[in-house]
Amino acid sequence: MKLSNSRFEQIAAIVQKDFVIGMRRRATFAAMMMFALTAVASLSLSTGGIFVEAKFLAALLWVVIFFAASAGISGTFDDEAQAGTLPTLKLYADAQAILFGKMIYVLLSLVALTIFILPIFLILFDVTAENFFLLLATILLGLIGIAAAGTLTAALTTSATVKGGLFPILLFPITLPIFLPAISLTELSFTGGAFDSSSLVVMAAFNLILITAASILYDYL
Amino acid sequence: MIVFDDVSLSFGRQELFKNISLNMRGGKVIGVTGANGAGKSTFLKLAGKIIRPDSGAVNFPADKKIAAVAPEMKIYDNLTAQENLFFFAKLRGKTLSAEKIYELGERVGLDLKTFGNVRAENFSTGMRQRLKFAILLSVDADIWLLDEPTANLDDDGREKFFREIQAAKPDKIILLATNDRAEENICDEIIKLPL
Repeated sequence: MKLSNSRFEQIAAIVQKDFVIGMRRRATFAAMMMFALTAVASLSLSTGGIFVEAKFLAALLWVVIFFAASAGISGTFDDEAQAGTLPTLKLYADAQAILFGKMIYVLLSLVALTIFILPIFLILFDVTAENFFLLLATILLGLIGIAAAGTLTAALTTSATVKGGLFPILLFPITLPIFLPAISLTELSFTGGAFDSSSLVVMAAFNLILITAASILYDYL
Repeated sequence: MIVFDDVSLSFGRQELFKNISLNMRGGKVIGVTGANGAGKSTFLKLAGKIIRPDSGAVNFPADKKIAAVAPEMKIYDNLTAQENLFFFAKLRGKTLSAEKIYELGERVGLDLKTFGNVRAENFSTGMRQRLKFAILLSVDADIWLLDEPTANLDDDGREKFFREIQAAKPDKIILLATNDRAEENICDEIIKLPL
């Protein structure tokens, strides 16, 4: 997995192009944001006045992020395939540049989603993050994992006829090793309890494995 | 030079190409003709390594870059004409100046001073074809794969296209899949595919 200067230029061009198109179409961003907002608001209303454990809240946050992300990521390659631009992109850009360009675009979209939904979540559930840096580190590592797994899964399901149902079914088991430590670390960031940094290392290592596997597999798609 | 070495390709039970071996040299326009379904577009995709043969191999030097104008190679409707040109040129490591874009527009008969900031979704089929043609000229490729390239162009567009092909052919390998008499007439060599 070696990226040359021209590949970096291609990656930057693909990220920029996807952002311009994403902002003009708005549908994908709107779907992600509205899903997250609706889920957080309805869950907050239904648990109003009830004490909710930090572990449950942490799981809730990641469930919202996962499904909101699913709503946005699944179209990463499919929108291009539907529009007929994927063959053109594949002809002019290097395969690895396409994969990493899409992956970075997805990651930045997820960061935007989280910047939007996290403050709302913390306010509506009246949560104070005792260890805010741990929360940020956990969320960033979790989002990288979802972006890597989601981009590969989106590429895999582009040619499937039942992609809408297939995407979350395939994505969930791949991202499970990320979610378990992410939920546990998010809980500790809420409570301020002592944490073992090895969980962060496990998440980072799994992300590296996911990115490497995606890079190797994408050449065969 | 593009070399087909004992290439075979089937779709299901339909055998499209069987043990084809040929060399295609640069400096001329090579036409690929045949009836509908003979495999003209597939031949171009094999030549450009866009698809892989079932057996045999297609070879050309690794540093050769490909560009194409084909019905299934769409441009981005949500981007303007200029943005499409910038994007595809950037993918090939080139940065286009505004003057270069206007010049490309003139060469293909598309007024990019007026329509440069218009999204491609608002273009007619012929204007899109001219934009694809401008992208082809902008990326400086060594191999051109042209699949019925003038199908949606008016006489002026066809004339400009033919002129550019003739001017470009000394430095390139140009494969042109067609059933059009005028397109066949500009070819220096014809590969006729049997049905």
